[in-house]
Amino acid sequence: MDNNNPLSPHIQVYRWHISSLVSISHRITGIVNIVAITLICFWILSLLLGESGYDLTKLFLQSIFGKFIIICLTWSFSFQTLSEARHLVMDLGYGFELKTTKITGLLVIFGSIFFTILFYLLGKGFF
Amino acid sequence: MVQINLPKNSEVKKGIFYKDKTGSKNIRKVNVYRWDPSTGENPRVDSYEVDMDNCPSKVLDILNKIKNEIDPTLAYRRSCAHGVCGSCAMNMDGKNGLACTKPHAEIDGDINIYPLPHLKVKRDLIGDLSGLYKQYESIEPWLKTNQKVETTEILQTKEDRLKLDGAYECIMCACCSTSCPSYWWNGDKYLGPAVLLQAYRWIVDSRDDERKERLKKVADELKLYRCHTIMNCTSACPKGLNPAKAIAELKKMLVTANL
Repeated sequence: MDNNNPLSPHIQVYRWHISSLVSISHRITGIVNIVAITLICFWILSLLLGESGYDLTKLFLQSIFGKFIIICLTWSFSFQTLSEARHLVMDLGYGFELKTTKITGLLVIFGSIFFTILFYLLGKGFF
Repeated sequence: MVQINLPKNSEVKKGIFYKDKTGSKNIRKVNVYRWDPSTGENPRVDSYEVDMDNCPSKVLDILNKIKNEIDPTLAYRRSCAHGVCGSCAMNMDGKNGLACTKPHAEIDGDINIYPLPHLKVKRDLIGDLSGLYKQYESIEPWLKTNQKVETTEILQTKEDRLKLDGAYECIMCACCSTSCPSYWWNGDKYLGPAVLLQAYRWIVDSRDDERKERLKKVADELKLYRCHTIMNCTSACPKGLNPAKAIAELKKMLVTANL
């Protein structure tokens, strides 16, 4: 076979659906969470560095940008946890029917948004 | 390796527009991927205006109409036209399927037709599936038995026969494998849903005596474990089979089997 033949379009033309979206988001949130853990380490490290260091981190985390990052990370942790639970069930061999994957996928997506709001309200002392 | 962009020689250019000549009022625009190996040019997407008043219900009927009445140079595989042979597998409206069983009424707007994704194109809608056939050969898809007598049947209980349902119906059209992003990025090593479903078919067959050897063969990180349950395969299968579930069952067997 001549190797100069073109490659047919793939990700450019393939239609997305719930399961493929959840799958790629699972990967992305996984990478984001590693960065998030590093951030948490810096936060704890700033405790050791004394009051001024801690105040600086606190200032950053309490700014609008810092809050935005924390809300995003809350979502990515929620998503990763729910999606991992979905994967565990699938590893047991359940939930492979197309309809079920769609429902569990939607549960992961809306559940992660729900948990983000829940954690936000918990943090605000809403309950 | 993940490579999102198409190579330079594969970038799709705008093609020729074939205006309707019948004067029909019921027109649909059909965009078809074209590549002619004799010109050395990049692939292009040609647009055809097709008179839908005189066109039967399936996407394959549209292609036949284009080939017979508008542009005889269009090349595509087809044979049985009844969803049995698997020749007319292609990407329609962003999803793989058989052109002969996909009703065009299910597609909204323009009808976009591409070859099966991430294959070397031979011409127009014909992709090169030789890699997939080699992988199919590698799982040795035939019955292996220690039985010496070749003149009597090997009996199977009804329960054992039931295990083959959902696996033996596969027509090897490659809709599933070429829909799988893992197969796009690692198609040289990952066996892909079609071949793994067939591997599963022989592993669960009670008449086959080489279950363990077969399991050992697929027990490889890249051959089997590239499946991340994206589910493109199951949603693409024109026969309604579930390769993703078969792959999950294989993973389960590997955990529980004493190899």
